[in-house]
Amino acid sequence: MAEDDQLLYLDYAASTPVDPWVAEAMSALMTADGNYANPSSTHAAGRRSVEYIGHAAGQIAGLLNTDVDRLIWTSGATESNNLAILGAARYRRERGRHLITMRTEHKAVTDPFSELQKQGFEVTWLDPEESGLLDIAKLETAMREDTQLVSVMHVNNETGVTQDIEHLGATCRERDILFHVDAAQSVGKLPIDLAAVPVDLMSMTAHKVYGPKGIGALYIADRPGVHVEPLLYGGGQQRRLRPGTLPAQQIVGFGTAAAIAQSRMTDDIKHLSKLRDRFWSGVADIPGVMTNGAIECAFPGILNISVAGIEGESLLLALEPLCVATGSACNSKSQEPSYVLRALGRSDDLAQSAIRFSFGRPTTAADVDFAIARYRKAVEQLRSIAPGRAA
Amino acid sequence: MSTDPYSARVRELFCAPAHAGELDSPLRVAADDQGVRIELSAEVAAGEVRALRFLAWGCPHVIASAEAFCADFEGRPVAELLEFSASDLMQSLAVPVEKTGRILVIEDAVRSLGNTVRDASTSSD
Repeated sequence: MAEDDQLLYLDYAASTPVDPWVAEAMSALMTADGNYANPSSTHAAGRRSVEYIGHAAGQIAGLLNTDVDRLIWTSGATESNNLAILGAARYRRERGRHLITMRTEHKAVTDPFSELQKQGFEVTWLDPEESGLLDIAKLETAMREDTQLVSVMHVNNETGVTQDIEHLGATCRERDILFHVDAAQSVGKLPIDLAAVPVDLMSMTAHKVYGPKGIGALYIADRPGVHVEPLLYGGGQQRRLRPGTLPAQQIVGFGTAAAIAQSRMTDDIKHLSKLRDRFWSGVADIPGVMTNGAIECAFPGILNISVAGIEGESLLLALEPLCVATGSACNSKSQEPSYVLRALGRSDDLAQSAIRFSFGRPTTAADVDFAIARYRKAVEQLRSIAPGRAA
Repeated sequence: MSTDPYSARVRELFCAPAHAGELDSPLRVAADDQGVRIELSAEVAAGEVRALRFLAWGCPHVIASAEAFCADFEGRPVAELLEFSASDLMQSLAVPVEKTGRILVIEDAVRSLGNTVRDASTSSD
């Protein structure tokens, strides 16, 4: 951290540092002594760029057990989600205009669905159970003859709750309904076997898994009826689904990050589980503290907790120098409580007091102990000055 | 351009609210609005505010403003409580305009305290 090396970063669900190997691989494609050519060029240097991209695609395809030609490069998960949702809904609009998603999805999913509503599509918004999980029976009840697309995220970005995409996907597949998964928080962190899991469209991004920002991908299954209309028009790159010059260095960074993630995923999960459990055991005895989303079905890199009687914004400031995320909806002016946590049944006050701690490869047990001490002290301080309502 | 939502003064007051707490005094008021709750207690003598304490549930700007008010008003004439305006406080602490409503809850509490002090003084005359 440039400004203050005392800061303790516990916001790995927001972004991760680029792995040094990733940075090295990317550097080789950016400078004059490297291979910086446009991969659309037909000369030798351009063809070499294509080879680099092909290698990176193979690394990501290997991570997910799929074919390289199933991947469309994008600028990140937001674009992938938009391409999947808007593109698939529009491609299949003559078959039906009913779509299903959850209220706890990321804005990059809910906003495209809201946009489709304005364009005449009908959207069913499913609430999760208190655990954060989607009840498959609810999904089945919501499905109709004209349902064309279901979108459910794999790992929730706020709570870490991990949906059973295998069963959800199978439920969709039985009815020939497309199943899209926002896997921004899970690709490279949890095992995903696309040869076995019935997913039609999957969004992913590099910067959540120690790759660079600005690059992501959309997986499109090789199955009849699975297709998207493009959002952009221009050159003919990527089968005209997402035209534009391919950023070879970004793609190589993503590929390298994927290969690293694959090689160390088991160790990463163990590491994160230990940290998450250590943190929770260090704060669980604070009166009024609770997890948001069931911890037993959550990705271990994310722990979201609320505490009764504490104002969220003050808690966040009192937690400095911890770099963590609040439960608020990224709007410091409105301080709106998180719609995700409200959908889980949390009151406004509890949702507003929510803090998301997310751990990463560089996080140590000592970091966690420091964070525990800081959290306990902040809660104690704020409670000591709170009037009767909150104390 | 600073991206810090809090001025240095707000940070300082929030981190060390020396006047947080309660006085053993009958002169106490509460105000509750805008998701903010403020309780003030005071000791007065010879027409002067001798001591002030606050309890607060609110954002850092609210806590810092309550602390700043208490620190600033000790030693001042009780009559000034009724003239208290949050605008000076907001300016000196660089409180963003969107938080005006919250800081006005402090103004309500201070003026209520002024009325309470005046009433107590009248009844004891």
